[in-house]
Amino acid sequence: MTDGSLLEFEHVDKYFGDTHVLKDVSLDIANGEVCVVVGPSGSGKSTLLRCANRLEEIQAGEIRLDDRSISDPGADINRLRQRIGMVFQSFNLFPHKTALENVTLAPRKVRGVDDDTARERGVDLLAEVGLSDQAASYPSQLSGGQQQRVAIARALAMDPRVMLFDEVTSALDPELVGEVLGVMRSLADDGMTMMVVTHEMGFAREVADRVVLMDEGRIVETGAPTPFFERPDTDRGAQFLSKLF
Amino acid sequence: MADSHSSVQPNANATADGFADDQTLKYIGVGLSSLFALGVALLILYILATEVNYGLIPTILPQFIGAYGLVLGIVVTSSILSVTSGIFVGLARVSKTRLTSGISAAYVQFFRGTPLLFQIFVIYFGIPTLWPGLFPIQNWGLPTAIIALTLNHAAYVGEAVRGGIGAVHDGQMEAARSLGMGYIQAMREVVVPQAWRNALAAVGNDQIILVKDTSLLTVIAIPELIQQFRDVNSATFDPWTPIVLVAIAYLSITIPMGRLVEYLENRGDWGGDAR
Repeated sequence: MTDGSLLEFEHVDKYFGDTHVLKDVSLDIANGEVCVVVGPSGSGKSTLLRCANRLEEIQAGEIRLDDRSISDPGADINRLRQRIGMVFQSFNLFPHKTALENVTLAPRKVRGVDDDTARERGVDLLAEVGLSDQAASYPSQLSGGQQQRVAIARALAMDPRVMLFDEVTSALDPELVGEVLGVMRSLADDGMTMMVVTHEMGFAREVADRVVLMDEGRIVETGAPTPFFERPDTDRGAQFLSKLF
Repeated sequence: MADSHSSVQPNANATADGFADDQTLKYIGVGLSSLFALGVALLILYILATEVNYGLIPTILPQFIGAYGLVLGIVVTSSILSVTSGIFVGLARVSKTRLTSGISAAYVQFFRGTPLLFQIFVIYFGIPTLWPGLFPIQNWGLPTAIIALTLNHAAYVGEAVRGGIGAVHDGQMEAARSLGMGYIQAMREVVVPQAWRNALAAVGNDQIILVKDTSLLTVIAIPELIQQFRDVNSATFDPWTPIVLVAIAYLSITIPMGRLVEYLENRGDWGGDAR
């Protein structure tokens, strides 16, 4: 690991058919860093995040976790993905499993952890996201905010090195956003490395170590949150911010 | 103004085309269905009272019981085989490997696209002639029955399973894969259980049809229920006594099967109000 980088994007290009959605994107996320990616819809920020655990393939460049290539066709992607937690906009909890079973499924089936150990850890993780009392509930019985917190616990159960958050509050009723952001904030405080795609500028401002602005498939500005939000370097940055506030 | 407004909505229960209001429609429905049920009930009572020869029943009952047992055996065997292989037909159909999904599609096209009766003939009459020398299987009828019903219904089950998999949100596979599961593991643990629940009604429907399809086996002289009807009818010229026995025999299999499917559907409720 050079210069403390944990997740590295190097000259990444990505096409959907003829559409060039990521254009020569390079980004290093350091161990323990919270990197928030913002930008208008269609700017490629979610695509960039999805490339980080190869839910999308890239056409040029390289993506590495801990100096191991993720984008290389020969990479053991199932093994690498265990080190990368992912939380989705639409929760994607397994509807046929209880909250606790959602959390314990991957440790048991992928890692081969025995049932009792997995269960103990699952109970702890549900407590961590404030859902001890919902272990036996099915996703259909939980609110959106509760489902998303279970989804975070599910990702944490694999002890990931980095957590990816793909617009995780966008599908929530406004009054439920806070409980999910609260869990993310405490994860950041515990030193988790996080890459967060969001429209929650308040979260970006308070929790991010670095804010990255994307537009039309490129990173147009990057910086610490305070200067980014108060004195953007680029015209594009100023223009983006002016539409928000 | 008030008048013209009220003329737009003369009756809160009226349908948009003014045909009848909801109450009237309800009475028409209740009246017609009761009338129909009454007619059928009277017909059945009339047949049971005047047409059925109860004295004949003890004589013919043993052969019907034998046929019933045989049909049950054929149904259970072909059901297990067709559902199991149908799941694989469905999985192959959604495969990203073109060859696999193509073969599965062709299989479904053939077995869904030709009559079961024809498939029975192909296997019963066609296959033995392809054998060099004497065909080694003596009683080819029963194997034919099970092979034909299995191949035919695996195609329908495969289509139901394919539809069930298609109805599972893509995010389920992504979530499973992002946790480090392989494709097969994600299919087994996450996608198939949900797809199965989605496909259950269609699979159950198909399996009930399979029960009734055993009646076609009469053409290759399998001593099933319709064969018993034909034997009794040609010997006694009495249609109604064997008809009643045949009806009881089929319904006593198909009605519990319908119940079983309902039970399985409710069991996969996952906390109610699922999705």
